[in-house]
Formats: sequence, structure tokens, C-alpha cells
Amino acid sequence: MNVTYLDAIREAQAKALAEDDRVFLYGQDIASFGGAFKATKRLAEEFPGRVLDSPISEDAMVGMAIGAAIDGMRPIIEMQFADFSSIAFNQIVNQAGTHFYRTGVPVPFVIRLPSGGNKGSGPFHSQSLESLYAHFPGLVVLMPATVEDAYTMLLDAVALDDPVIFCEHKLLYYHLKAEALPTNGLPIGKARIARAGTHATVVTASAMLHEALKAANQLAEEAWDIEVVDLRSAKPIDTDTVLASVARTGRILCVAESFPWGGLNAEVIARVVAEGFHLLDAPPLRLNSRDTPIPYHPNLWAAHRPTAASITTALRKLLGF
Amino acid sequence: MPRIPILMPQLGEAIAEAVIRAIRVKPQDRVESDQEIMEVETNKTNMGVTVPCRGKVIEITAALDASYPVGATLGYLEVSASDAAKAGFKDGGNSRKVKVPKNGRSPVRVDKKAAPDTAGVHFQVDEDDTFTVAETAAVRPTVGLPVPANASGATYLSPRMKARMQELGLNAADLSSIPGTGAGGRVTIEDFEKFVRQLDSHAQSPASPMRIAVADAMRRSCLRPLATVGRPVLMDRMLLHRKQSTFKPGLTLYVLRALALAIAENTAVGGRLVGDKIIHPKSIDIGFAVEVDDGVLVPIIREVNNRKLEDMVEPYHQLVKQAHSRKLSLEATGTGIATVTNFGSFGLAWATPIPLPEQNLVLGLGVGRKVPVWSDEVGTFVPATEAELTLSFDHRILDGGAAGRLLARVADLLQTPAAL
Repeated sequence: MNVTYLDAIREAQAKALAEDDRVFLYGQDIASFGGAFKATKRLAEEFPGRVLDSPISEDAMVGMAIGAAIDGMRPIIEMQFADFSSIAFNQIVNQAGTHFYRTGVPVPFVIRLPSGGNKGSGPFHSQSLESLYAHFPGLVVLMPATVEDAYTMLLDAVALDDPVIFCEHKLLYYHLKAEALPTNGLPIGKARIARAGTHATVVTASAMLHEALKAANQLAEEAWDIEVVDLRSAKPIDTDTVLASVARTGRILCVAESFPWGGLNAEVIARVVAEGFHLLDAPPLRLNSRDTPIPYHPNLWAAHRPTAASITTALRKLLGF
Repeated sequence: MPRIPILMPQLGEAIAEAVIRAIRVKPQDRVESDQEIMEVETNKTNMGVTVPCRGKVIEITAALDASYPVGATLGYLEVSASDAAKAGFKDGGNSRKVKVPKNGRSPVRVDKKAAPDTAGVHFQVDEDDTFTVAETAAVRPTVGLPVPANASGATYLSPRMKARMQELGLNAADLSSIPGTGAGGRVTIEDFEKFVRQLDSHAQSPASPMRIAVADAMRRSCLRPLATVGRPVLMDRMLLHRKQSTFKPGLTLYVLRALALAIAENTAVGGRLVGDKIIHPKSIDIGFAVEVDDGVLVPIIREVNNRKLEDMVEPYHQLVKQAHSRKLSLEATGTGIATVTNFGSFGLAWATPIPLPEQNLVLGLGVGRKVPVWSDEVGTFVPATEAELTLSFDHRILDGGAAGRLLARVADLLQTPAAL
């Protein structure tokens, strides 16, 4: 059996629907059409009345989900693209993010954000918003990089009492495959050492994990031994695992597909410098997409985001210090 | 058969890159272990690049007369799996193939060829999801200033190096023997750990607290630019005065007193430079070096410019005795502004002693020697006793001329010992 990353997301939703009556899916064209990326294909037939088409209003979708969650339901919202979630920004950060703090009543929903770039997707269908949502208290932000994580982390997200922003990467949907669905996974908030090494640490998540692994394998030809940490979760950040890795290597490069200004890379580096300054043998580096809107043209897009080649170049700089 | 890279070797201390001057093999050539296949030129010398094991050259990527950093790939060899492993390529050189993450629950792979189920998807995802950005050069030579401009080589310490050295109780000076392989020749943590490991293969003995204290003071002293000047001084009048006096002052005391009087005439020479100011001494307190077990102590005599030579003889002897028994009083162990050292007592004619970290000056007296000196009175050479006076100083405060004039004044004052 071959399971894609997208299959895993669909199967996790099916399992959540089957096992928990409180769960329902809500989003644009997700019922009979099966969703923009087919992440809810045939779920409306399998679970009648629990996979619902919403109006074309992200604001209304999240507002409704907050109400349902307050009332004891566990909605899973599908955004067609992560970029459009900004229309529901007020509902997400001001209402959902603060609700438990204000009232003691939790808002257990999951918003699925099809995130990240693809060839020819342009400025409105390519963005990575994990840093934006991680900025606000009260939200959990997850970034699965593997088929297995996509499955177990989505199930964990549904079980959490906090509002969860689930950043799934569009580039991984069809091409990333596993033999089978996992039965269990690492807990939320725990990073994974995706590749053990001794010379430098790369901290990354989501699709960039695969670029980082390619870069590490390329440098292995020159006898460089690169450790790659898959953060899995942008909030909370597993600072302990990152620091332990830097303790082994003395050097850190953070790689993310999001824009460079502030953000997850900056947060990881700030923590490493503040808590592990004595572990650093070289200045920490970060590599993000460029600080411009995301270009439509495939060649410009390829030059805009970090790739195995640009990660290798950054690692050479880090290793050469 | 695995292929392994041919790497630019570490060519010596502070060498970051080298230029290829000759390539002695071509693809398909068989090579033996340690065979020299290229000649490279560094800014110091010409050296050879050797292969780590026997094999067949499959590609030379380096270009003649181009410069490559240490560790750069210059070409590839085809070798047997066991030779690759012996040469330090863990997976037999097969790492070119994409590795599966080890900690994953089941194998995960990126499969570009699989046809996605995209029927009815209104946002099409392209199968060919990867692009290669052309890398203009696989490896670029080191450029710019990767370490801060004001620190290079062993003087730049990363936070981790500082923390490790503190943990082990080491100082920056302890790194002087480590050739750094980092940018600008800095010592990396890997260089450092290698150095620490190899120390265990040497015989070791503990350094005494006194030794460590002296080492620490000297290390701090050398953070400043120090210089030494010297000139001869005739000793006969001093020796005669000493012979005729009832209290028999040591030669050190004469020099100590003369130095104090000379400094009193212009206290700036005994000052310290802090920021943009010369800090003048409050009083002219001068120390003298006393050799003790495994080190040196410097007892201080206070306000030497206000005390006659004869009044200092008894305190001087007491201080020497106290120093030997390590029982110096608080008053005698404070800071002075200069030190006198009679290295002539070791038979030394000349030395370049180092001023204490909190002092600007150290005056040294060499061993006295009989020399012929022309006498106008007698119209011939007469025997005289001469010794070298040396003055080491912080060159930020004094220049050679000023130091020379101070020394001349001391030599001058020593010619009228009765006035001391």
C-alpha cells in the first residue's frame, strides 16, 4: 500500500469523524466536490451531514467554528489556501486565541492551512503563515513534514483542547509516500532528529526538511556530517532538542520557507543564543525565502525559496567559520 | 564501485586556500595510495595533493591556476568499498543516493514519477516539483572577513570556546600552539578538542599556585605592547659608597631610590593609560623582585621618593625575609607603580623583564663587569665596573626616547650615591 501525505490527512479526518461524534468538517467545496486538493474526497458520503460546505467567507467559517467549539464540538476547518486565512485573522487570533484566557472555556478546533509554495502558484497561493499565528498566545501551530506526522499530528490536533493551526505543505501532498499509516507518533511539541550528525545542525520543518536532507547528503560526499532537526511544531518549539543538537555540533543553520523578517527561524536562533550561547562555535545562520512577494514564474520561484543548493551553500559558510 | 571525492588537504597553519599549479593525472588513470596527483601553491610553499587510497580517477573537477579552499572537492576517485571505508567515507562513498531518515517509523521517499490523483482538482499541482538552481561554482574561495576584523587566528574565541576553556580552567595563551583550521586561522572547537585529547598522551605535573599566579600576571601584562631599552651604567661610585657606608644597602636599593627620584620629576612616565587619559600615580611606591620557590614575589616599598637610602635598608631585608617565608604584610603586597629587578644576581648581563599588569615600568640591573674606561686625568684606560640598566615599558605611554631619557636620569643619579 502506498499512502501519500494527502491520503494521510484524509484518513486522519476519516478516523476522527468515525471515532468522535463531536468532530465535523467545514470548508469551501469540501462536501460533494471533495475539497480543492481532494483532502476530503468521499468523506461527505461516508459521514452524511458531518462534512459541510461553507459560504465563501473565511471570517464566517472560523466564527461558526468558534461557536461550535465553545458549545462542545470539535470542528476541522479547511482553508483552500493558507493565504486566505488572513481574512479570518480577527476570529483566529482575537477570538479563538484569547477565549480560554478570558472565559475559562476552551475552543478546540483545527484549522487546516494548505501552505507553502508550488511551481507557478504566485503571491496568493504560496505563503507559509506559521510564524504569523505562532506569534499569538493561545494557539498551537503544527507543521508536519512526513506522511506519518501528517496523520498522527492531525489526530493529536483534534484531541487537543486548544485551537490548532495545522500547516500542511501542498508540495508534499502527492509526492511524499509511505508504506502504511502509522499507529503512533511522537507527541505534539517534540522535535525529531531526522538525520544524526556531528558537524552542524540544520533546524527546519515541513517541506524544507526534505531540501535540508538533500543538502546534508550532498555534503556527506565531502565527509561533512550534518544533523537535521525536524521541528514538527512551530508552537510550542522544542528548544531542548535543538539545544542538545547544538551541544553536539556547535553550529546551527535554521531553514524555513516563510519570509525572513522575524518569524520561526529568528525565534529558534534567539532561544539558542539566549540559552545556549556557550554552545556556539560559529554565529548562527538562517535561511528563509526572500523578502519579496512570492513570484509566479517557476524560475523566479525556484530562486526565491531555499533549496538543497542554497542550503548547501549556507552550510558551507557555516562550516567554514 | 563507490566514488569518493579528492579533497584539498589541510596545508598547514593559517592556510585557507591554495592554487592548483599542476595536475598529474587524467580520468581513467589508476592511482596508488598516497600518490601525488596535483601540485598546489599556497602563500608559503608548493605542496602536493595525494589520494587517500588506490583507485581509478573518474573525474577532475579542479581547474588549473584556480584557487580552492581547504576541504574543497577537486575531483572523484572510483575505489573499492573497503578502501572507501578505510579512507573515512562511512557509507562506502554511496552517500550520493538519497538517504532515508533513520528515525522515521517507516521509509519515506519523495517520488516524483507517481501520477497524482488530480482529477477534478481546480488548483493543479505540477508533478515536477523541483528545480535546480545553477550553482556558479561548487565551492567559492574564502572571501571577506568571516571573523571580526579586529580579531584573527588564535585571538578570536567563539562563545563555545570561551565556555569550554573556562570549564577546563584554560586561558587564551594556552591556545598558542594550536594551528587553527577555521576562518582566518581561528581555532575551532574541533581543533581545540583534538588538542585537549592529545594532551593526555604527555607526562603531566601540576603547576603550583605560585606558578599559576605568575602565569596569569604575565599573560595579562602581555595584552599591552611592551618594549625594552638598555644602556650601560658605571657602578664604581655606588660600590665605593656601599663599601664605606655603615648600613650596606644592596645594589637593588640604590637603583630603586634613583628610579623613584627620576619618576618624581615627571610622574606621567609612571602612569597608566586608561582610555584617553594618563592616570598618574598617587605616590611613588616601587617594588623589587624576589625569587622564591617556583616563582617571583614583588614586595612594595611605599613613597620611595620621600625616604633616604639608609632608612630603607632594614625594611628591605625584612621584606626579603617575609617574601621567602610567604608572609608579606598587606602594605607590602599592594600595587606599586614600578618594579626593580636585579637579574645581574643570576649572572645575566641583559634581559627584557615584563612589567606587572598594573605597572608601566620595570627597571633591570645586569651583572657588573670590569671594562677599560678612558680617563682624561691619567691619560690612559683604567679599569671600571660597568653594568647594563634596562627599562621595559608600555609603549603606549612611553617611546624609546622618553624611556631612554628616564634611564639616563637614573644612571645619572647613580653617579652621586651619597645624595640618594
